[in-house]
Amino acid sequence: MRKFSTALVIGAVAVTAASCDRFLDVNTNPNAPESVSANLYLPPMLHWMVTSPQFDGRFVGRYTQQWTFPGTSLSTWDRMGYDPGSDNGAQQWRDVYWSLGKNLVDMNAKAQAEERWDLLGVGQILKAWGWQVTTDLHGEIIVKQAIDASRFYFDYDTQEYAYQEVKRLLDSAIVLLQRTDGAVDQPFLARGDKIYGGDRTKWLKLAYGMRAIWANHFSNKSTYDPAAVIADVDQSFASNADDFLLTYPNTNNDDINFWGRTRNNLTTYRQTQFIVGLMSGTQFGGTVDPRMSRMLSPSPDGQYRGLDINVVGGGLAAAITPNNFFGYAGTGGAGLPGRYLFDDKAKVPLMTYSQLQFVKAEAALRAGNNALALAAYTEGVSKHIDFVNARNLDAGQTPTQITAAEKAAFLASPNIIPTAANLTLSHIMSQKVIAQFGWGHNEMWMDMRRYHYTDLDPVSGIKIFRGFTPPTTLHADNSGALVQRIRPRYNSEYVWNRDALDKIGGLATTYHTVPMWIITP
Amino acid sequence: MGLLLLAAPAYAQQKTVTGKVTSEQGVPLAGVSVLIKGTTVATQSNVEGNYSIRAAVGQVLQFRSIGTAMAERTVGAPDVIDVQLRRVATSLDAVVVTALGQTTEQRALGTATQVVSGADIAETQRENFVNALQGRIAGVEVTSSSGVPGASSSITIRGVSSISSSNQPLMVIDGLPMDNKTLNTGVLASDAPGSTTAFSNRGVDFSNRASDINPEDIETVVVLKGPEASALYGIDAANGAIVITTKRGRFGMSGLEYSNSFRMENTRARPELQQVYGQTTAGGALSYFGAPYADGTVFYDNIDGFFQTAMTAKHNLSFSGATQDNRVGYRVAAGTTEQAGVIPGTRYSRVNLTGSTNAQVNSWLNADLSMVYSYDVNDQVYKGDGGPLLGLLLWPQTDDAKNYLTPAGTRRRITTLTAGAEIDNPYFNIEKNKINAKNNRLISNLGVRVTPFSWGSIRTNLGSDTYTNQNLLTRHPESAYGTSVNGILDQANDIVRNLNMQNVLNVNSRQLTGKLAISGLVGNSIQDNKSTTDAFKGQDFLDPNFVSVNNTNLRTNRSTTIQRRLLSAFGSVTLDYNKYLYLTVTGRNDWTSTIPIGENSFFYPSVSGSFIFSDAFPGISRFVNGKVRAAYAEVGKDARPYAYLPSLEFKATSFGGYGYGFTGPNLGLRPEFARSYELGSELNFLNDRLGLDVTVYRKQTKDQIVNDIRGSYATGYILFNLNGAVTRNQGLEVTLRGTPVLRAGGSWEIITNFEAARGKTLALPNALPESYVSDTWLFGNVRNGTAPGLSTRSLTGFFYLRNNQGKILIDPTSGLPIRSSVFIDGGYDRQPQWTSGITNNIKVGRFTFSTLFDIRRGGDVYNATEHYLTTRGLSTRTLDRDEPRVIDGVLRDGKENSPTPTPNNIVVVPAVNTGYYTLISEELFIEQDINWFRVRDVRLSYQLSGRPLDVLRARDASLWVSGSDLYLKTNYSGLDPIVNGNTAAVGGSGASGIDFGNFPMPRGINFGLKIGY
Repeated sequence: MRKFSTALVIGAVAVTAASCDRFLDVNTNPNAPESVSANLYLPPMLHWMVTSPQFDGRFVGRYTQQWTFPGTSLSTWDRMGYDPGSDNGAQQWRDVYWSLGKNLVDMNAKAQAEERWDLLGVGQILKAWGWQVTTDLHGEIIVKQAIDASRFYFDYDTQEYAYQEVKRLLDSAIVLLQRTDGAVDQPFLARGDKIYGGDRTKWLKLAYGMRAIWANHFSNKSTYDPAAVIADVDQSFASNADDFLLTYPNTNNDDINFWGRTRNNLTTYRQTQFIVGLMSGTQFGGTVDPRMSRMLSPSPDGQYRGLDINVVGGGLAAAITPNNFFGYAGTGGAGLPGRYLFDDKAKVPLMTYSQLQFVKAEAALRAGNNALALAAYTEGVSKHIDFVNARNLDAGQTPTQITAAEKAAFLASPNIIPTAANLTLSHIMSQKVIAQFGWGHNEMWMDMRRYHYTDLDPVSGIKIFRGFTPPTTLHADNSGALVQRIRPRYNSEYVWNRDALDKIGGLATTYHTVPMWIITP
Repeated sequence: MGLLLLAAPAYAQQKTVTGKVTSEQGVPLAGVSVLIKGTTVATQSNVEGNYSIRAAVGQVLQFRSIGTAMAERTVGAPDVIDVQLRRVATSLDAVVVTALGQTTEQRALGTATQVVSGADIAETQRENFVNALQGRIAGVEVTSSSGVPGASSSITIRGVSSISSSNQPLMVIDGLPMDNKTLNTGVLASDAPGSTTAFSNRGVDFSNRASDINPEDIETVVVLKGPEASALYGIDAANGAIVITTKRGRFGMSGLEYSNSFRMENTRARPELQQVYGQTTAGGALSYFGAPYADGTVFYDNIDGFFQTAMTAKHNLSFSGATQDNRVGYRVAAGTTEQAGVIPGTRYSRVNLTGSTNAQVNSWLNADLSMVYSYDVNDQVYKGDGGPLLGLLLWPQTDDAKNYLTPAGTRRRITTLTAGAEIDNPYFNIEKNKINAKNNRLISNLGVRVTPFSWGSIRTNLGSDTYTNQNLLTRHPESAYGTSVNGILDQANDIVRNLNMQNVLNVNSRQLTGKLAISGLVGNSIQDNKSTTDAFKGQDFLDPNFVSVNNTNLRTNRSTTIQRRLLSAFGSVTLDYNKYLYLTVTGRNDWTSTIPIGENSFFYPSVSGSFIFSDAFPGISRFVNGKVRAAYAEVGKDARPYAYLPSLEFKATSFGGYGYGFTGPNLGLRPEFARSYELGSELNFLNDRLGLDVTVYRKQTKDQIVNDIRGSYATGYILFNLNGAVTRNQGLEVTLRGTPVLRAGGSWEIITNFEAARGKTLALPNALPESYVSDTWLFGNVRNGTAPGLSTRSLTGFFYLRNNQGKILIDPTSGLPIRSSVFIDGGYDRQPQWTSGITNNIKVGRFTFSTLFDIRRGGDVYNATEHYLTTRGLSTRTLDRDEPRVIDGVLRDGKENSPTPTPNNIVVVPAVNTGYYTLISEELFIEQDINWFRVRDVRLSYQLSGRPLDVLRARDASLWVSGSDLYLKTNYSGLDPIVNGNTAAVGGSGASGIDFGNFPMPRGINFGLKIGY
């Protein structure tokens, strides 16, 4: 009897075990898929490609003195410092390694397997963009060992290697995006690409533009090749219609413009003396820029002023302190139309036609071709005025349109558009600041570092960045040096990858002031 | 063959035996099981202690009741057998529930278990029975999240061993697992990854679901402390098990019982605030670093007026009884609880309906069905940052906080700060910001016991534990909490259905030789647990006061399904040598759905032994009765569902799409294992008048799965679930029970529980420097980080940097201390050195007086509330702000580690250099070695007799009065050292001992009556 019942129980257990695997197979996460169609990986990556630089722009924008964060003491970033133990200034680190990260690897693998050369080209652009922005912000970064979930220690690669990799990826993208064979499929790409609607020819132009900017960063090196820069710009955007602009649909918090009042990220920031000076006439012979009243914010009395970044609180009486970037005093503006890029629904660019024209102008001038430089420079200023008008129509923002007459009068001023012989780098780089104000933080900071913030124009002897003065009191950890890079993301690297950081000197108190390879000769 | 097996032995000369079962004091004992030895024929005593059973002369009646010594009487000529049962706590003959609903005699147990009677629990009048366990069981620690009605309580047995997962024990009700979840805010739409409105289990609280049980329905609670005792329950019982047995219908006469309870509560403590310096908004926040108050300034006592005296009312009604032939018993009961909190606007109300029937269908079939229904509604307020307590403290004492609305009915503002920077008025906060939860739950359990063989029986239990938990969290558009997004509302409906089946074949004890007997069981179980949470969030209110998602502009939703299945097979064999040497070996194999196939089947054994030396050497028993025991067990534990495969999640960024979540893959995930042993002894002296139970244990967990451990983002992910942590727990538990007085007219009993425990982290996965649960990082830079060599309950933080002589480093430019910019150990440990609970039960005539004292020594508490008040200039420790001082330390000038460091000589005046307070280290507010003495419960009851009973026409009735948490003596400077900055949902050591804006436990006076018909 005992044997029988034992057998019975063992039998029952055995039957259970046989159907066990099927019964236990409930560990496929029902809340989310493990793999999706290749084009569905794209929208979040495109979102972050444009938006992530804005996150960090809160901080980089203080290095470049587009804005300041007034408070009861000077903020660390206003003093070219950083926030210890914080991830501030490393959103792009997060998005390159995580938001793109494995998603991009998977998307590219699928695109490759499915012969979707257009999507793969877009993927290579994303990859190149990632290394470009992280190395420009942080210098040495992790490239070779990146995106490997089996590792827990990651060696840093040199910036030179990162730059080579960006070039390789862009070259590859340019080849891929010209292909029409395989499964190149505009509607398929358009499902994930709401920026260019799946048009690979526009992506191709973007790749050329990125390669032009890449090549132009070598301006301090003997290998600098202005002709290559000009050639790539010419293959790139042909007009403002090619601008890479992200739309913010405003269906929930995450797809609202980061600079919109609802996101509340910029409400307490104020414009600086530097940015106001570039447009108020102070730096351009008294010619008031019509864009000032369309991009910046007046004080309650209607005048345009900037805060002094060296004075606690900005140095202006409350009554004449500039309004917030939305155009309202204090924290006002909730639910009301904003100004320029500072609106819930304003589109934000990654790269613009106007920006590339300034890149071309700089390269041409450095190559000694003043006429070509002037043409590109004039085009840059002119088309940025059009860009400002277009942006202020994105969501019915409060500023009026710049009229044709205003624009013509402005462009007619020799203070703004000099003769070819009188055109200087100072014109080009200072106007480029205006064209990149509010969105082009990475490139603007790169420009300033390339010219060591305060280099003088070799021809006119005035500052390349007119009116830019570094903070008088630098952050204590700077030891008197200007900021050159942002530390790698704290919660990624300083906590979990310290040994590798140590090898590149990343644990030094002054690490953020160590000049990067790309700006050294 | 079947018929042959089913033939029950027949006795010709059966007769009806009746009698009365009483305690030593002569009090009738109800619910005592009366069993004919060697058969399954049984009955129970009724409320008057009377029983009636058919038996034959020569048969032996066994009288068993949990917590008493079993008595045996042989049926002889008399038809009446009266029995007195001895109430015992450590007696070897006591009957205890062990794993899987089995009962056994204490003597056979090789492991530590402890029993609390349902009456003891119910008499504390705590709504959540978990809170009644503190101090009653050695090794059990209950941490209530706050003093708000419906607050979650976490319970740990033998300390914290898991770094990131739950350390709570398995809850078992009538043999099947019971859900004790506390809602994790991770399922809310507000907490979607990357969200800026996440709660992260901070500032909110929800009930732990065990609180759905009405304490009045509990017959006993047995605590199986270690893996040794609970090994048969499997992987969910790695942290011990709490085994609840609910009341059953009593055979005999039908009974009607009514009881009620009324309580008045008020708050015990209030913090002291300075009244010298006035407010300022310099710095962008309301603080009290302003000019001194003018003479004659009128102060309002906002704090005293805020708290209210709270009333609680409970009513319980039960009917129980059985059919005439004693074969079908029933119990139906209803209970209501209506609890208001001392914080206005808070409440907890519960309705319980319980029914159970038990039928002896025939001689070989017994069926038991129970259903427990509960419905509860809970209104809580926020705590911490956005909560009303900090608002109450920070509100200007020169302003009447009761005046909180403008004439237009909107939030009255008192500063020019932004709406988000000005703290909410506490009255405004409790009225506008709300946490509401409703829960509908049904636990049903169908048990069938078949006795087809003479040598054993088969018991099958089928159970479902299902509930719908609706939560609504509002952050009002005008409040500081919700203004940035113009109001936000979260709704989450959690639908849970847990199905359980368990089959056990019991083999009765049979003699192998004259002295050696064997018994055992084999069985299997199937569990299928599923929870689906449908959550949505509405943001940007149209009408600021209309609370509905339909009233919002921006809506997002989210669905979370979590399912886990578990199959198990288990067995146990007990060898019994001459009733004084026992050896039990168990084995269990689990197959879980949450570990990759191939690694998901795992076996673990346990072995335990018990030796009753006083029976082996009867000569000793004149002085001492007792046993020694030893046990060893291994227990595996699986991962949470979906832990090893990364999954894509919908991204709410522009134009949707998919992207990976934070957590990376780990295809090599394997189960973790705990190895544990314990040694113990139970000794009884003076004829059971004095009992001692001592246990030492040591548990080591290896390959421990650490959830959400961080790595470099270069992995492509942010978090990982990894094996590789090792933790060790060891401790000593002592229970001393004495009955100094035992007479017919009265008795005095003392039970003392003592525990000293340590938990230590020995290793972390991949040699990572620190592991922490990010939810616990809730104020300043302190969190529950642990690292190898530290306690499992340590704290890490941005503590002071020190030189090689331990002197604080001072910044030569500011004169202020330099703090670490990474989380470091500061030598803090929230683990108490020891805890003790002392119960006194005194009976004099018809009066019963009982007390429970709760004593703790050691353990650190972070007083973040005081830290907050200091940074805001409200703490009395900021009164000397104008006094110049030099902080003791050495300058960080390059010579700090040389033999002659430069002593700090920089004078700072805090009033001028506000960084003195705002940059101050959390270290100054972690209060070390916090002790307490707490009078948890005091109770006096009187049993009515004679005329009053006649007037009531009642069979019995009693009146009582009791006090809850009446007295607290502690060296903690805050309101109450029992706190949890998060909720019981947070794993690892959680945020217990982090006190930030938390409401303390109130003190209450209860009174009521109990009457039976």
